[in-house]
Amino acid sequence: MNTMKETMTPDERLWAAIRLERPDRVPVLPGLLPEPAATLSGVSQAQIAGNIETAVNAVFRVFDAYGGWENPYPASYTPLQLQASGIFPLPMRIPGVDLADDVPYQLEEVELLVPEDYETLAELGFERFYYDDFLWRIGNLERDELPGVQTAMARGGGLFLQECAKRETRPFFLASSLHPFFMLSLMRSMVRFTEDLYYAPEPVERAIERMTADLIATQLDFAKQSGIDIWLLTEERASCFFFPPVVFERFWWPYTRRIVEAFWAEGIVTLFHLDTSWDKNLPYFKELPRGSAILELDGNTDIIAAKELLRGHLCLKGDVPAALLSIGKVEEVEAYCHKLIDQVGSGGGFILSSGCSVPANVRPENFRALIETGKRHASS
Amino acid sequence: MPRELSTAIVELARDDVPAMIERKLDAGEDPLAILAECREGMTRVGERFQAGDYYLAELLLSAEIFKAAVARLAPHLPDTDGDRPVGKVILATMRGDIHDLGKNILATLLRAHAFEVHDLGVNVEPAELVEKVREIRPEFVGLSVLITTAFRSMQEACRLLEEAGLRDSLRLMIGGGVTTPELEEWVGADFQTQDAAAGVAYCVERVGEA
Repeated sequence: MNTMKETMTPDERLWAAIRLERPDRVPVLPGLLPEPAATLSGVSQAQIAGNIETAVNAVFRVFDAYGGWENPYPASYTPLQLQASGIFPLPMRIPGVDLADDVPYQLEEVELLVPEDYETLAELGFERFYYDDFLWRIGNLERDELPGVQTAMARGGGLFLQECAKRETRPFFLASSLHPFFMLSLMRSMVRFTEDLYYAPEPVERAIERMTADLIATQLDFAKQSGIDIWLLTEERASCFFFPPVVFERFWWPYTRRIVEAFWAEGIVTLFHLDTSWDKNLPYFKELPRGSAILELDGNTDIIAAKELLRGHLCLKGDVPAALLSIGKVEEVEAYCHKLIDQVGSGGGFILSSGCSVPANVRPENFRALIETGKRHASS
Repeated sequence: MPRELSTAIVELARDDVPAMIERKLDAGEDPLAILAECREGMTRVGERFQAGDYYLAELLLSAEIFKAAVARLAPHLPDTDGDRPVGKVILATMRGDIHDLGKNILATLLRAHAFEVHDLGVNVEPAELVEKVREIRPEFVGLSVLITTAFRSMQEACRLLEEAGLRDSLRLMIGGGVTTPELEEWVGADFQTQDAAAGVAYCVERVGEA
């Protein structure tokens, strides 16, 4: 095996990659959330969905058992807390409640946002609209339950930071948001939202405009307070897998650019979580300031082509596919990681990771193969 | 020259299509011929998609227009042989997964291509799927998946179909964002795609052979 002696701290290694310099080895940073952590640590999906301490402890048991990696993903949540905080604004089915104990929580996409809501959103802003009205349409939570859920989430966040401190590490990021485009698509449902974009676009545009301004105001402030110069922006629906460039150029790219530039002006790097194929959209990302973003790809975008296009401009992260981690063989995971390290990691600007998050039914031996291959295999 | 109904569908003229159908019905045109025009429009949308001129969004929009057209025509269509399906398809999202966006798109597109579609919904038990196959005797079974926790129930469904002696009489398709050729082999399926239109093309191409 091709090995290299470590000469950098995890933080130095990560930031070398982000700054497009050559680290001592590729940083390894799998998207380990409580759902795969439950599987890998022997607790049920129902247990982590029902108890924030169990969720946090599962993540750190795995972090320790697999020798650690650059930074843990912030994973201090239960599903309902994600809904209560507006991160996932749609109904959920919860293991142990609506699903079997061994099935991860899932989002249920239904048409809860109606066309008139776009104007309300544009006028009130997301937070007021969500907590005055929309959250209660979802139906998982009653109003009197909200303070308790928020308190538990804060407690979980505190516990997560304590566990990080014990290990002399810190979360990969803390501030995060869905992109306004993605959020509206989930709240309205994919089909209805698509109809709105084509047949009644102006109200959608006004809502995205307001939500973009709100997002910058709240998340930039949070990111600055957190002291972590990375924040997460998630988008799973805006790419040319779904929409033609004309939609992307009107409803997504200008707002995205504004968001990235606002954070970058404060020295904060945007971590894009980009599911589906972004092959046709990649050239737009060259317009962003050099080093201002990381593109986290899920295995559906051609990461080799992305590297060719964005080499020396933006850092890439990914992209061991979920299917490979859940049903593949160890040697297949190793070979995939070797290919990534050699072809995408060469010269820096790459973070080895799962494509999307680690799947809930990941095979332990495959997870270990990802971590250890990343740590031991120097790029050729 | 007035625009054809099929062209209105291709142009995604959602608000024009119902009025055009209404005018044709009022003029005494054969509802089956009107339905055929709508299907022609959907075929042309599919061709644009395959050529890269249309995207999934346009497939979705045309499918919604087609659904509304069929709903309007349904009371006028004969119950029997006049609109005989070209083939039968059972679709399901298996146990462990409740996502259905891709499955619903495929169902609409297959109906637009004159397939009889039996949609079993989400979180479906493998034994339930087998029972439905026994009853319907479809040429195709399509399993949609978004999260990996449904992989095992997909594999189990394939195994149960084999044990029941039903596997050889149909083609098993898997589709969804997390599917790969390796998963196709692991499940024991015949076809894999992340693209609903490719699923339709597969059914259209293979329906005579199944």
